[in-house]
Amino acid sequence: MASGQAGWANDPAVGERGDAVVILAELRVQGLTKRYGQVQAVRGIDLEVASGEFFVLLGPSAAGKTTTLRAIAGLERPDTGRIIMAGRDLTTTPVQGRGMAMIFQTFALYPHLSVRANFAYPLRRKGVASREIDRKVAAIAAQLRIAHTLERKPGTLSGGEQQRLAIGRALVQEPALLLLDEPLTNLDAKLRHDTRAEFKRLHRELGMTMVYATPDQLEALSMGERIAVLREGLVVQTGTPDELYLRPQNSYVATMVGAPPMNLVPATVQAGPPAPVIDLPFLRLSPPQAPAALEPGAELLVGIRPHDLTPALDDRPGPRFLARVQLTEPLGDVTVLDLAAGGQILKMVLPEAEALAYGVGKELPVRLVSEHAHLFDRASGQALI
Amino acid sequence: MAVVSAQQVTGERSAGGFWAWLMAPERRGPLLVTPALLVLFVMNIFPLLWSFGLSFFNYRANRQTVPTFEGLQFYQRVLTDENVWERFQTTAIIVGSSVLVQLIVGFLLALMFARSFPLRRILLMLVLTPMMLSFVSVGVFFKLYYEPTFGLVSWALNHFMDERFVLLATPAGAIAGIVFADAWMWSPFVMLLVLAGLVSVPKYLYEAAEIDRASWWRRFSTITFPYIKSLLLLAVLFRTIETFKLFDIVYIITEGGPGSATETIAVYVYRQAFQFFRTSQSAALAYIILFVVIVLTNLYLYAVQRREQEVT
Repeated sequence: MASGQAGWANDPAVGERGDAVVILAELRVQGLTKRYGQVQAVRGIDLEVASGEFFVLLGPSAAGKTTTLRAIAGLERPDTGRIIMAGRDLTTTPVQGRGMAMIFQTFALYPHLSVRANFAYPLRRKGVASREIDRKVAAIAAQLRIAHTLERKPGTLSGGEQQRLAIGRALVQEPALLLLDEPLTNLDAKLRHDTRAEFKRLHRELGMTMVYATPDQLEALSMGERIAVLREGLVVQTGTPDELYLRPQNSYVATMVGAPPMNLVPATVQAGPPAPVIDLPFLRLSPPQAPAALEPGAELLVGIRPHDLTPALDDRPGPRFLARVQLTEPLGDVTVLDLAAGGQILKMVLPEAEALAYGVGKELPVRLVSEHAHLFDRASGQALI
Repeated sequence: MAVVSAQQVTGERSAGGFWAWLMAPERRGPLLVTPALLVLFVMNIFPLLWSFGLSFFNYRANRQTVPTFEGLQFYQRVLTDENVWERFQTTAIIVGSSVLVQLIVGFLLALMFARSFPLRRILLMLVLTPMMLSFVSVGVFFKLYYEPTFGLVSWALNHFMDERFVLLATPAGAIAGIVFADAWMWSPFVMLLVLAGLVSVPKYLYEAAEIDRASWWRRFSTITFPYIKSLLLLAVLFRTIETFKLFDIVYIITEGGPGSATETIAVYVYRQAFQFFRTSQSAALAYIILFVVIVLTNLYLYAVQRREQEVT
């Protein structure tokens, strides 16, 4: 980040130095739409990605993540909308002229070429000396710890090695913008963990703008500097991981971000002296402050994070209710308890040792940290506070 | 049980017993295969062995003399016959040029049909038609096509030439005519094989190559070609072996003429066997041809296997 300078870096210096050259690559996507036959894949997406940012597109399958990435890369021509990078309108620029690299979910390694030739593939064009190519390939292979596989075919590599080859082939081009389309989906759990760390490290070292599509909220929260949550071809909310977690703008984002997902409980507002109260099936809550929308009779969804429920073992004040344990899911260090209360199932997370006391069928008093509760309009799903 | 005992009583025991014995589950498989094996033996295997035997005897199919054992004399005679070598050369020229044309045309057709365009299905069906016609109809079709008085080729060319154009009058023209007919018929076969290879290439590889800024030629040579390489070899193998045995088209279009310019080895064997009735000699030659085809086949199989090992 030290030598901020526009244009192409001459030296990838991957891993050799920490101060990679910053390439101006702020990206704007404006009003993007794309239809495939009867399916409207993207309905109007606007994104602003700052130069050097790790930006995540989070959404379930068919939310439009991949289509958006492909439109940015130039593999799809958008029906409407514009792609602007560093002030340059790239909407109709062919793929080759965009200075972007992409890592595919399938890795898209060239099966008939050696690992070395795969690395060198983007470099082999006019004006690049073969000695220069050899040097760059050797450097990137060493950095990604697959130098020993250079003469082999990609098919003989392990999943993690294939993944690193795909990363290396993208990085060796020194792209202004790196697009990643669910790159961890084809890896096993352990490798995903390692590769997440690897992506973060690479991003920090190279300072490159990255747009990363994933259906996995854990990947999004752990890597993204900012996240856009997509739903059915639209951006629902954009923000930092903290903003999305602490202030979801609607119930969709609330359940999408955070694991286990937020409990959503239907409730109604009751006029009650002195102030209106929120009537849950198993509990009455007095809202922390009374928003205007809380008119008596309003139908709500109350969002409660599993971490905001605890067993009420002492007499401290606060909203509490009785619940029965229906199911326990030990996850190692923590256990997820499914609690039944008032006809609702609530998930509660407890440390493993604490959870041992509550077997299936046991009844327990539960306290709710009500100041963390989220209120959503039941019809629209919009947050009320 | 009652039915069985009734049959036993009325004396149908032996007939029903044989039928039951024959249709027993463990015999059903062999029973079903037997007719096919019998036909195969009578029509193929026996004549094959018999003719192999004949190639060592002095035998003419149109004479009633008792054949005498001659050893390898006919093989020696065939192998030292200049005519035979000339026919082999003719065959090689026709095979080489025809397979080459089929490869090029089939390949280009496959590239065309690999992408989607309007009327693709209908065109594809039309292009595949020649392959489904019988050799005889293709032969007759091209014979009329090349016909000097009313054939389409001569008629078209006579607009530009004073002399009557007779394609089949010169050796080179006759060979070209046969090559064209054979290539017309079999290019679709090569196209089908290549098309299968083209369709098997994952689309994302082309997209990755586009992002990697590879030129059209590099995309073809590093992605497309490796996927169709083994299928191309297979196409060459099939077509070489088939064209090596080319008989029908040649016999109908030129009957080997002019002179012996288009007389392939298959036509030559036919003439030796059924026009000059040199039965033993033609049997010997047929076995030499068989040997050549087996060698060719193994060469190609070896190549295909090596390619497959390279790929994996």
